[in-house]
Amino acid sequence: MATDHATTGETDVDAERGYFGVTISSRVKWNLIRAVTVAVYVMMILPLVVIVINSFNPSRLGNFPPQTLSIRWYEALLADELMLRALLNSLQVGVAAAFGAGLIGTLTAMGFVRNDFRMQDALVIVLLSPLLIPPIIVGVAATIFFGQAGIPRSLGWLVVMHTLLGLPYAFLIIRSQLYLFDETLEEAARTLGADRLTTFREVTFPIISPSIITSMVIVFVISFGEFTATQFWVKRTTTTVPVVIFSMLRTSISPKIDALATVMLVVTILVPLIVLGIRRWVLKT
Amino acid sequence: MSTGRARLPELKDAVMENDWVRFLVSPGLGIGWVFLFLFLPMTVILVISFSAPGDFGNVIYEFTLENYQRFWNADVYKNIIFESLVYGFVVTLLSLPLGYTAGYFLGRSKTDWKWILLGLVVLQYWVPFIIRTYAWIIVLSNNGVLNQLLLSLGVIGSPLNIMYTNFSMILGLTVSLLPFMILPVYVSVSAIEEDQIHAAKTLGATDFRAFREITLPQSLPGIVSGVLFVFIISAGAFLAPTLLGGPNTRMIAPVIETVFILDFNWPFAAALSIIYFAIIAFLLYLFTRRVDLEEALETGAT
Repeated sequence: MATDHATTGETDVDAERGYFGVTISSRVKWNLIRAVTVAVYVMMILPLVVIVINSFNPSRLGNFPPQTLSIRWYEALLADELMLRALLNSLQVGVAAAFGAGLIGTLTAMGFVRNDFRMQDALVIVLLSPLLIPPIIVGVAATIFFGQAGIPRSLGWLVVMHTLLGLPYAFLIIRSQLYLFDETLEEAARTLGADRLTTFREVTFPIISPSIITSMVIVFVISFGEFTATQFWVKRTTTTVPVVIFSMLRTSISPKIDALATVMLVVTILVPLIVLGIRRWVLKT
Repeated sequence: MSTGRARLPELKDAVMENDWVRFLVSPGLGIGWVFLFLFLPMTVILVISFSAPGDFGNVIYEFTLENYQRFWNADVYKNIIFESLVYGFVVTLLSLPLGYTAGYFLGRSKTDWKWILLGLVVLQYWVPFIIRTYAWIIVLSNNGVLNQLLLSLGVIGSPLNIMYTNFSMILGLTVSLLPFMILPVYVSVSAIEEDQIHAAKTLGATDFRAFREITLPQSLPGIVSGVLFVFIISAGAFLAPTLLGGPNTRMIAPVIETVFILDFNWPFAAALSIIYFAIIAFLLYLFTRRVDLEEALETGAT
């Protein structure tokens, strides 16, 4: 770590010159930057570590640090049908939305990169608008819309809306890969007599598939954690993990919440790592 | 039949080569999805915001300005929107120096830990808001981890009442949104060629001058993207004010939720949503006069 300060590109001359009449050496400055960074990481990570530790705390009041460890809250979780249902719902909706946004995002990105059409710039903003409109408004608007259309709440409703929320990410990630793509490969395939579908299947898809997988992972993660809009869209049988955690927080604070939050944490971290790990392994072989 | 079969590939070709058909599938599917499930619902609430509330969440479709008059005549809703924007501004202002410093460190450091540190920010980015928000309840509440620690160390005699205040809300929101600032800043800082900085130094620039003239301008896209995301998300935050805020914390998202769910007043909730959306759209319009919105979103989302 001692060599760190050299990377600010600062020379020893700076230490002599100083500014505002104060002379601070590059090394001290770099150490200050490092201290702030450490503080940022502590603030980001430590509260999450506390949740994980507390989930193994047998005491209901949650004295910290716990004197003994137990898995009683995880057992309570397994015995709770509503929570298992919520976990299953969240996983199903997340996977379905990932496939939905992955498919639509691929087609849309292809259309934008490979064709010229009018109002292209404005239509990109249309596609990105789910990122810009606050989720509370998306939540209220969709609830009123589906309500007036007489469509009852279901997992399908959640999949449709989570696909919408994930679509901008899928579109941007896949499009950036398509920009790097050598278009003459497609032209070559077409000159050799392949139709559009064959060209896509044999040439384009294999090359952009890593970015499709990345985008699907991100859509899954977004869907799995979305709360603000989703709270309006669920009923008891289609509830998701974030909604369950929120309603538990409204009634009481119990280490059972920590256990559920830890499960959620593990899923959000493990699923992407496993999928991206497999992707890497497949690409290598 | 045999001619029909022979024509099928030709028909397929004709369909596939038809510009309209191709546009409808790609990119039309994505554009259509957004129109159908976002713009159409937005239009519906625009219409409903000019309608009167009936009993039990019903809507009476008669043109009325009642909802907008209610907003305009009482100060409370105007103040709530104003306060939301102020909180958004404060959180953005706090997360900018913290996130920039960390992003700068990641972009310039050559430590072996760099990839782990970067991975931790990405993981943080993935952790759901509900968990990141809840974590602060355990840490900051009266019998929370921080108070237990300070009490046992004898630093304080009685627990600090920092939970359920504007302070805890702003802290939780700022830390939750730091990854949105760190990642784009890291991306733009790490793209800067170190030779440029060395050259500036060799020519006699101070640290500060080299930073101001080389690093800062080139990391501006990262800052713009971070500011955009942090401001929009924090001003419209629902979880942090609801779970961490105090009795004096008033923000627009929880108010819309209350009007919608508890008061069951759909037209007024629709009107509040439309007004808040119009304000955000106006701010974005001002923003796009200076920067490329698409680029800012792309930097933040990929």
